Amino acid sequence: MRFRFCGDLDCPDWVLAEISTLAKISSVKMKLLCVQVMKDLLGEGIDYDKAAKLTADAKFDSGDIKASVAVLTFILSSAAKHNVDSDSLSSELQQLGLPKEHTTGLCKSYEDKHTALQQRLRESSLRLGRLEGVAWRVDYTLSSSELQEVNEPTVQLRLQAQGAETGSTEATIVSISADKFRVLLTELKQAQAVMNALQ
Amino acid sequence: MNHILAKLSPGECPKLLHRVVDGVCGREPPRFADYSDTWSLVEWMELLDSISSLFRVAVGKNMPDKEVLAVLADVGSGCGETVLTVLRARREEIRQALVERTNNVSSSTLQDFDWQIKLALSSDKISCLQTPLINLSLDVKENGALKAVSFEMNREELQTLIGSLEAANKVVLQLK
Repeated sequence: MRFRFCGDLDCPDWVLAEISTLAKISSVKMKLLCVQVMKDLLGEGIDYDKAAKLTADAKFDSGDIKASVAVLTFILSSAAKHNVDSDSLSSELQQLGLPKEHTTGLCKSYEDKHTALQQRLRESSLRLGRLEGVAWRVDYTLSSSELQEVNEPTVQLRLQAQGAETGSTEATIVSISADKFRVLLTELKQAQAVMNALQ
Repeated sequence: MNHILAKLSPGECPKLLHRVVDGVCGREPPRFADYSDTWSLVEWMELLDSISSLFRVAVGKNMPDKEVLAVLADVGSGCGETVLTVLRARREEIRQALVERTNNVSSSTLQDFDWQIKLALSSDKISCLQTPLINLSLDVKENGALKAVSFEMNREELQTLIGSLEAANKVVLQLK
């Protein structure tokens, strides 16, 4: 069988197996666990102590806790990735054997955070050389060894881009003559107009 | 150099001088092959060098005509006048070339730039991304070597960059 929340593919076996693990905790506890997983997906970090407490009743060992967090992460992120609405997600999860109360709780938190989650996924998509900072300075050149009276402005630009490794940044410092600078700005504005037209 | 220049017929002189100025302004300089009958290679190099630097110094130091003529004293007056005519005609162009050379005094200068707009459709994180991205590639000349630096920006980041450049441009326009 193919599932929309799996990108119109078969549901992975491990997900199938761990859905039955999820069914062992109460639906209320599972909903609270969902909240923790959602926090993790949105970049706020997960509270593992809380996750352990929520699953204490069902006598989960650490492997089961990890598995239930992993399966919830998979369901929520995969559903958001493939833009599945919460009703479809609900029916598909029930087909996979998750009890109705559990499904309702899960889909409720999915529905609430659906937009934020997609935004987060969009932001965390691969980017190369992301521009992170701009600093500038305008100089007025008075005189030089080449020309006694120059009297021309030049622009010094410092552009900071994300480096090849995550977290590292590389700065480029470049000086631009006034004429080139004007052309650069004009062309960037043209590009911006094209980009805005794309929306 | 002056006695060397005198070897050329008066008709050919302005043509050569204009081509030398072309070279000063970063376009194609005259070729030795065209003048190999008149000068030896050593003479040619010396001539090209000295005329180029004469034009640069004359404009760079804003020399009055008299001084230029003094440097050219031992050439026939015909040639001296020709140099002055060429100098007057091309002064602004040479000045621009010198401004460019002045800008190149900095350790890294912008030579050229290119941009490209792409629409990112999908990624491993989300199946429907639909985000326009602009790639800005700068050719930066650093210590004589060209280096390409590339930046990727989404709409907001481009807006930030343009905002910064606008602010700088405002100051540049005030100076002009």
